[in-house]
Amino acid sequence: MKPNFTQKVTNWGNFPVVEKEMRSEDNFKKIKEFVLNHNEVIARGNGRCYGDASLGESIFSTKKLNKFINFDRLNGIMECESGVLLSEVLEIAVPQGYFLYVTPGTKFVSIGGAIASDVHGKNHHAEGCFSEYVIEFKLMTENGEIITCSREENADKFWATIGGMGLTGIILTAKFKLKNIESAYIRQESIKAENLDEIFKLFDESESWTYTVAWIDCLQKGKNIGRSILMRGEHAFQHELPQNFSKTPLRLKKKLSPTVPFYFPGFVLNALTVKIFNWLYYKKQSKKEVKNFIDYETFFYPLDAINDWNKIYGKSGFIQYQMVIPKETGKEGMRRILETIANSGNGSFLAVLKLFGKNNTAAYNSFPVEGYTLALDFKVNSKLKSLVDQLDAIVQEFGGRIYLTKDSMSRSSLTNYLKNIQNPKFVSLQHKRIINNNS
Amino acid sequence: MIVLGSTSEVAQAFVEKALQEGEKFEKIYLFTSNKETTERFARHIDVKFLQQAEVIELDLTKEIDYNRFENINSNVLFCAVGYLGEGTDEGLYDNRNTERIIAINYSKLVPVMNYFAHKFESRRSGTIIGLSSVAGDRGRQSNFIYGSAKAAFTAYLSGLRNYLFDKKVHVLTIKPGFMATKMTEGLPLNPKLTATPKQAAACIYKAFKKERNVAYVLPVWSIIMMIIRNIPEFIFKKLKL
Ligand SMILES: Cc1cc2nc3c(=O)[nH]c(=O)nc-3n(C[C@H](O)[C@H](O)[C@H](O)COP(=O)(O)OP(=O)(O)OC[C@H]3O[C@@H](n4cnc5c(N)ncnc54)[C@H](O)[C@@H]3O)c2cc1C
Repeated sequence: MKPNFTQKVTNWGNFPVVEKEMRSEDNFKKIKEFVLNHNEVIARGNGRCYGDASLGESIFSTKKLNKFINFDRLNGIMECESGVLLSEVLEIAVPQGYFLYVTPGTKFVSIGGAIASDVHGKNHHAEGCFSEYVIEFKLMTENGEIITCSREENADKFWATIGGMGLTGIILTAKFKLKNIESAYIRQESIKAENLDEIFKLFDESESWTYTVAWIDCLQKGKNIGRSILMRGEHAFQHELPQNFSKTPLRLKKKLSPTVPFYFPGFVLNALTVKIFNWLYYKKQSKKEVKNFIDYETFFYPLDAINDWNKIYGKSGFIQYQMVIPKETGKEGMRRILETIANSGNGSFLAVLKLFGKNNTAAYNSFPVEGYTLALDFKVNSKLKSLVDQLDAIVQEFGGRIYLTKDSMSRSSLTNYLKNIQNPKFVSLQHKRIINNNS
Repeated sequence: MIVLGSTSEVAQAFVEKALQEGEKFEKIYLFTSNKETTERFARHIDVKFLQQAEVIELDLTKEIDYNRFENINSNVLFCAVGYLGEGTDEGLYDNRNTERIIAINYSKLVPVMNYFAHKFESRRSGTIIGLSSVAGDRGRQSNFIYGSAKAAFTAYLSGLRNYLFDKKVHVLTIKPGFMATKMTEGLPLNPKLTATPKQAAACIYKAFKKERNVAYVLPVWSIIMMIIRNIPEFIFKKLKL
C-alpha cells in the first residue's frame, strides 16, 4: 500500500467539501520539503473557519505542530507551536492565574489560525484583536526559509501575515502575552432588550465593561426587530466570588460534553424550529436583568459545550455570514440587514451582535473596523445565495466589510484587505474565488 | 518512566496521559533516534506539567554503550520502538530493508529491554509495557517480515512476563491495530478500526492500571484477530491479506 494523501476535507460549516491532498508533519525539514515540492500550499489549523479559507490544492495541517516551547510564568508570556489550540493554552494558563487577552467564541482554534485570521472576541472595543498581544512568530516562506517576524524584525511580513489568511506562508511557532486573572469565573449581567434601539443603547451604556455581546432573535419583524439579550462580563476577583467558587478560584470542575452523534436530517432545521429555538432562548431568561457568576467556559464558549454541533445543520452544511458596518451608519445598516433576513424567512439559529472599537491601522489585513458586527448562521439551501447577495449589497452600500474567515459565498471583493499578498505558492480556494469574482 | 521510541506519537500521548492522571515521575528518560523532535517534546512536558525529562540518543542499528544507562532507574518502562520498513511488494528481497526491520523491532531491541528488565528484577517492582502489533498474530503476505519480527517480540514479552511474574514485575503487551500516526499517514485505513494516538494512550493507560497482560487498543481488533488466527491454513494461504 503506497500512501495516498488525498482525502475529503471540509471546515466547520461542512461547506464546501473538497477532495485534496492533506498532510501533517512536525519536523521543520519535512515541512520545507512539502512546501518546495508542491505548487500551491495552504496551511490549515483546526478547520474552525467556516468555509474555504484553509482549503487548497495541497493542504498543510498544523495538527502535529502541537508542542509548547516555553511559559514565562512570571511575566505571562507563552511560546508554542502554531497547531496548539487555545483550549490547550487555557488548560495550562488558567490554573496559574492567566487568561488569553483575546479569544473567539470557540476555544478549539489553533494559535496559527488565530493569528492568520487576527481573531477578535467580546472585548474588541476594549482590548482589540489577537495580534495586539502577539510578540513574535516564526514563518516559513515560499522557499522554505524560516524567518522571525515581529514589530521590529521583518515587520512587513509580520503585519501582512496578521489577518493574512495563510497567504504569506506557514506560521510555525508564536510567542504571545497572557493577562492576569484572579479566578476562572466571570461576573456577568444579562439584560433583555425589546428591540434594536434598546440594544444599541445598552451597548453604549456598557462601554466600560470589558466583555459585551448580544444574542439576537432575528426572526422578529416590525417594532420587535432586534429583540435580544445583552451579556456583559468581567473577570471576577477572588474576594467577590460566592463561597462555593472561592475555595479553588482557578479550577473548574470537569464537565462532560454531549456530542451530536450524526448529521441531522435536513427537515429538522426550518423556519419554524429556528423560531421556536429563538423564542425559547429569549424566554429562558424571565427577568429583565440577571446578575451572576459563571465559569469562563460557559461565558466564552457556550457552543463548545455540545461537541460537533455543526452537524445539526445536516449534510448540506451551513455558512456563517459576518459583516461589520462602520459606526456612523451602523445602526441603520443593522436594521436593514435584520429586516432583509426576517423577510426572507431564512432564519438563523445564531445571531451574535458585537461592538468593535477603533482598529489597529498597522494590522491592515485584519477584519475589524470601528462599528457594529453581526454574525449569522444559515443552512445551505437553494435560496441562500440570493439572500447572501442581498446582504452583500447592503454591506457595500454602508461601506462595511465581510469577515473572510467565515466566508464561503460572499462577493469577497467586499473586503478591502489582503493587501501586500501576492504569493503564488500560498494559495487558498477562497483566494482564488475572490480573484475570480473580481475579474 | 523510561521511554524507548520517544518520537512515537503513541508514546508521547501515553506520557501526557499518565501525567494528566497525576502520575509522578522523578524524571522521564526519553530514548530516541531523533534528538531534535524529542527535545521539543521534553520542553513541552516541562511547560505543561513541570515534568523534568532527559533526552538520550539511542540508535538501535549501531553499537550500544550500556555504561551510559547505568544511573537510569524507574518504575515504568514504555517501549514504542517500531519500524515498518518497506512492505513485501517493494522490500522483500532487499536485504538491508529486512535486516533493519528485524534489528529495530526485535534483535537489537531485546538486549536493551533486557538491560532494563534486569534493573526492574533487582528492584522487584515496576511495569514493562511493550508495543507489539496485530501484524505479529499471523504472518500475512503484505508485511510478514515486519509481522515476524513483531511475532518474535510478542513471544519475548510473553516469556518475560512469565519469568518476571514472581519477581513482582508486571509485563503488559499492547497490540495496536491501525493507528493514525506518522507510520500510517496517507494509507486508506478504515476510520472505525483506526485509533488516534490519544485514544490508544487512554486504552494503554487503563490496561496499565488494571495490570492486564495483553490488550488490543481497540476492542474490535481482538475479534478481528481471533478470526484471522483461526482461518485454516489451506484457506489462509490463498487469501490476499
Ligand atoms: C463556534 C465558532 C465561533 C467563532 N467565534 C469567533 C469569534 O468570536 N471571533 C473570531 O474572530 N472568530 C471566530 N470564529 C472563527 C475562528 O476563530 C477562526 O476561523 C480561526 O481562524 C480558526 O482557526 P483554526 O485553527 O481552526 O484555523 P483554520 O480554520 O484551519 O484556518 C483559518 C485560516 O488561518 C490560516 N492558518 C491556520 N493555521 C495557519 C498557520 N499555522 N500559518 C498560516 N496560516 C494559518 C488558514 O490558511 C486559514 O486562512 C469562530 C468559529 C467557530 C467555529
